[in-house]
Amino acid sequence: MDAYLVAILTIAGIYAIMALGLNIQFGMTGLMNFGVVGFYGLGAYASALVTESLGLPFLAGLVVAMIVGALAGIAVASLSVRLSGDFLAIVTLGFAESVRLVLNNEDWLTRGPRGFSIETRPVPDGFGRDEASLFYLLLVLTALAVSFLIVERLARTPYGRVLRAIREDDLVPAVLGKNVFLYRLQAFVIGSVMMAAAGSLYAHYVQTITPDNFVTAVAILVWMSLVIGGTGNNFGVVLGAVAVMVIFEGSRFIAPLIPWLDAEQMSALRFIAIGVALIFTLRFRPKGLLPEPQCGVPEVLGASAPQASLKLKDQKGSIS
Amino acid sequence: MTSVSRRLFLAGTTLALATPVFLRQGLAQSEPIRIGSLPPLTGGGGPYGPEIADAHRRVVDAVNKAGGVLGRQIQLTVENSETNPEAAVRAARKLIDVDRVIAILGTWESSSTIGIQPLAQQANVLQFSTSSSESVPDGDKKGLTFNLQPLNSAWGVALANLALKRGFREIAFAGPNNDFANSMVDTFRASFVAGGGKVANEPFLYNPNQPSYRAEAERLIRGNPPSVFVAGYVNDFTAVYRELIRAGYKGQVFTTSFATGPQFKEAVGAAANGVLHGFPVPPVGKDAYDTYLRLVGKAPGGQVQNPYGCAAYDQINVLLLAIESAKGIEPSKLREHIFKVANGPGERVTTYADGAKLLAAGKAINYDGASSAVEFKPNGMLKSRDFELYEIRDGRDVSVLRITSEA
Repeated sequence: MDAYLVAILTIAGIYAIMALGLNIQFGMTGLMNFGVVGFYGLGAYASALVTESLGLPFLAGLVVAMIVGALAGIAVASLSVRLSGDFLAIVTLGFAESVRLVLNNEDWLTRGPRGFSIETRPVPDGFGRDEASLFYLLLVLTALAVSFLIVERLARTPYGRVLRAIREDDLVPAVLGKNVFLYRLQAFVIGSVMMAAAGSLYAHYVQTITPDNFVTAVAILVWMSLVIGGTGNNFGVVLGAVAVMVIFEGSRFIAPLIPWLDAEQMSALRFIAIGVALIFTLRFRPKGLLPEPQCGVPEVLGASAPQASLKLKDQKGSIS
Repeated sequence: MTSVSRRLFLAGTTLALATPVFLRQGLAQSEPIRIGSLPPLTGGGGPYGPEIADAHRRVVDAVNKAGGVLGRQIQLTVENSETNPEAAVRAARKLIDVDRVIAILGTWESSSTIGIQPLAQQANVLQFSTSSSESVPDGDKKGLTFNLQPLNSAWGVALANLALKRGFREIAFAGPNNDFANSMVDTFRASFVAGGGKVANEPFLYNPNQPSYRAEAERLIRGNPPSVFVAGYVNDFTAVYRELIRAGYKGQVFTTSFATGPQFKEAVGAAANGVLHGFPVPPVGKDAYDTYLRLVGKAPGGQVQNPYGCAAYDQINVLLLAIESAKGIEPSKLREHIFKVANGPGERVTTYADGAKLLAAGKAINYDGASSAVEFKPNGMLKSRDFELYEIRDGRDVSVLRITSEA
């Protein structure tokens, strides 16, 4: 049981890193990235290639995965110059699908549909099965903590405020002389790097990857983490990733309590559970379990804050 | 308000995650033998997963009713692989770490079988699959994986031989770019050429799930080869076949049997007549296969039914017999006894009950299965299986040829 908890926490941790990456893209900057899984897959395969084909250690794989993630982020972002709303959503979706197809077809590089088996593990020699899983969990949690610190730090700086301003209305920061495109590009790339890093961690964790590991369903899980946890709130999305995993995995243990449902119906029930959780979240906590804090406004504007924020909201519709 | 609900939520989360710990307390008394089943109940393998789970379940129920194995009850836990290695890995984690199973049976799609292999190897858990990827034996470092399906390369050899026997001398080849068709290309071509045939055009692979297959169909029949082979599944084959008909192709179309199920026949109607298809078949009409069919409530009718369920039936029978024979559940010992009961030498048995009786009497046995003779090579893969060639006539599959091929 303990080993199972460790395993599920490890996977939840990896998802949480992706959710943080998406949070800086969508939650803070408003960039709709439906291609999460493309960056995730690229990171996984980049890391696998570096460690298995070139024989370098895990850390090199992780670094290369992040570099590849950054380059892919720049490429995708530059492709849709304005990086706004629906355009980006379509481009990223197409990107993720292209990545999967390339992984599936370029056998000479990725071993195609036969799967890539990975020997390298960032675990000290001589560790038993339990120690190794604990160590890996620790590694993932460390990576999560680092990502969290970076993203949370960014959120509290003037930089983060610009990102949020772009999300709310890109005309305003543009009028203030900010290079909106550059900010969007940077936010997109930071997020992509985190997703690629998550991919690297995942690849060396499961030790066998196939292009089937990187289908859009995974991206949906990450998006659900944001919606349930609280878009824009870093604590929230981490909590959301854990919550989604708890619902997904926890529902397995309901099976013995409902013996009249067969395994097929049980697995359908799990998806229903996720759907119901989403509906309840949106109905009772539309901004997620932990809504984004309205930081900054009261201090800056003093007593007139509520009015001011109301006006900003009113304007949003008319300009965009 | 926020901080209270956060605490509440964290407490709730912890409790939810801890629930299984409490549940386990109640179960730990009689120490049953725990076995996991991980078929694809949803997704692309959805049509086949249920018959796999059902075969496992029925054998276990029958054995438990008769007193279990070595006096212990069998506890079967079924999880869904969702035809997706990512989900399969999480499910396998649960089976291994929570249910503490000694074996995971029933993985169907190769990606999941090889996806959970590292976990199973680390935890010394046996695997029984019906996956045909060449990567399955490659990933098995400890000799813990057994496969009831011929590998892709064997499919290539068998189907090429069927085509040759049927009198084909020139054939064009295409298939979706998945593990199956990908591994089959080379062996199909090599066997076909070795048997005096000629492969027209250059064999190619296409991406599955395309909105249109017109370009693929055109490429396949370029130069009008007398026959074409499509190593597809039902969705892409149906689409490719439509394009072939539309293009006016008059040659012989040959494919795999799982591409020509009811879905295909309904979709193309009378145009399905004349299509040839082949695949590994259970020994139709033999006692072992009939016994299986009756167990799952089907009437033996000389037709292939439940092509994967019968293999699942063999998986659980062989495993339980090996436990009986080994008098324990230690993995490396079980492995030895799996070979003993499956390959013999010994008296032929087709059910667990018969085998257990003989084993108790100190006799050696040789299990003869519902899907094949179940003889394993040293790497845990099958030695041979029957392949059958069918022709669709008036919307029905009519058997035209059968060969036994090395798997």
